Amino acid sequence: MSELIKVKQQGEARCEGLSYQDLLDDETIEVPAYLRQNTNPYMGDEDIGVGRWIDRDFHELEKKKLWPKVWQMTCREEDIPEVGDHHIYEIVDQSIIVTRTGENEFKAFINSCLHRGRILRDCDGHAEEFVCPFHGATWDINGEFKGIPCKWDFSHLDQKDMSLPQVKVGTWGGFIFINFDENCVSLEDYLSPLPEHFARFPLHDYYKGAHVERVVQCNWKVGAEAFMESFHTLETHSEILTFTGDANSQYDTFGDHVSRSVTPMGVPSPHMPEVTEAETMRDILELSGRMATDSAEGHEMPEGLTARTYVAETNREMFGEIIGESLDQATKSELEDAILYMLFPNTQVWTGYHGNIVYRFLPNGDDHNSCIFETMILMRYPKGTKRPEPAMKNTLRPDQAFSEAPEIGGLGPVFDQDDSNMAAVQKGMIASRKGAVSLASYQESRIRHLHQSIDKYLNA
Amino acid sequence: MATTDTLILATDITNSQTVAVTLDGKNILICNANGDFYAVANLCTHQRAVLTGGRIRNCFLACPLHGVRFDLRTGKPLGELTRVPLKTYDVSLADNGNLQIELD
Repeated sequence: MSELIKVKQQGEARCEGLSYQDLLDDETIEVPAYLRQNTNPYMGDEDIGVGRWIDRDFHELEKKKLWPKVWQMTCREEDIPEVGDHHIYEIVDQSIIVTRTGENEFKAFINSCLHRGRILRDCDGHAEEFVCPFHGATWDINGEFKGIPCKWDFSHLDQKDMSLPQVKVGTWGGFIFINFDENCVSLEDYLSPLPEHFARFPLHDYYKGAHVERVVQCNWKVGAEAFMESFHTLETHSEILTFTGDANSQYDTFGDHVSRSVTPMGVPSPHMPEVTEAETMRDILELSGRMATDSAEGHEMPEGLTARTYVAETNREMFGEIIGESLDQATKSELEDAILYMLFPNTQVWTGYHGNIVYRFLPNGDDHNSCIFETMILMRYPKGTKRPEPAMKNTLRPDQAFSEAPEIGGLGPVFDQDDSNMAAVQKGMIASRKGAVSLASYQESRIRHLHQSIDKYLNA
Repeated sequence: MATTDTLILATDITNSQTVAVTLDGKNILICNANGDFYAVANLCTHQRAVLTGGRIRNCFLACPLHGVRFDLRTGKPLGELTRVPLKTYDVSLADNGNLQIELD
């Protein structure tokens, strides 16, 4: 018996039917160890008070004790490809200039002029030096003070440290992270075991094929939680049940900062026993938005093959052609399942060989009742060819549907369905007389994990 | 409208390069964004900096001074620094390979 199985697991009951681990037994390719992990230590089943999502005080606590302490994803390295390029990262009431200072070197400065405090840079862009638009105080891109007009009036600053204050920076998978806390754990320790689990998916070498954002009228955690369980598929996305093993999903937690859901695809929901293999194949191609093709036209299920195998083999061939590399060693699971990791507190990344989805949920400035929901799609390109330019961020207006963003394809209508819940959850929590939510023991365990990790920071 | 020859060969402006010209007393910046040519007034609408040498990416020109980005297609700025668009001019290619601009 492994060490992990000796630990009491969260929830004891599981849905009937083939579990994810059963499906792995059916792989013809050697299953990598990270997929065989199946761990969700017991966290309890108590109700959780709605104050965590709707109270101003809780937001203030997060502002004071969570955001200043966690590693947080700011942007992609490819967003600032040249020395002097910078991205303005804003979190609650803080503003940071994330800038490239060398071929593989990044710095992150507090975005505030040391003269009168104006933000130094208003938007993403490129600079040879940072010149404050108010009076012209200037720093080089490494944060060294270069001067201010009418220097005769500032001799009292000669003895002061006028370098721009910095925060910690780290990179993984082509993402740039920052941490405000000088004494934080290393990014490497914080991310573990994410890099190990993504060893087959070198995200630093993917390019950003789409980037869409929109304000959603709910707390950032309500947004994040909409993507942390597959239980809602039955009611919210019923059209995908013919090819989604929703209730047979596996949920894992790894330490405080990483959790995972694996939802088998290419198999029907255990709620729909009557679906044929041909229906599963047709619907996954037409509706999932994540397969190598979005049309079932011309696809006939060969006799004796399962939809799961047929779709995996189609993906293997078509993804392989797109990336110019053989995917012989990819499991069916990796070729089609929804394997979604959460990096605490607000970033979520899918595995996959082509078209990896990334979600981020940022508080909408200092407003605890709304958030900014972002989706990126990371794509691969043929080996040996020039890396394509990253997509520019498409900011939808609050009244626009996600399906109005053609670059995210079939995901748009799915997000619109999720969107129909997010603001409604916030509203309903505020109206709640019960004042608490009751989570499914297993299927919603990652949400409990998120809140228990938040508490570790708030109580530290 | 007057079609005015810039006397600049399109092939002399490389990708992401800007070239300033004075035509009819107007300072105009010609920009090559991924092979498409655009012409805009060479004066930032934020604090009147010259835009020559501003970085071009994805059809956007960034002011070298404070970084305002302008959409070269429409002249519209992004962000909060200014709400005033840059004046844009239509650009076309003459038979001799020179770029020509439509002046008002």
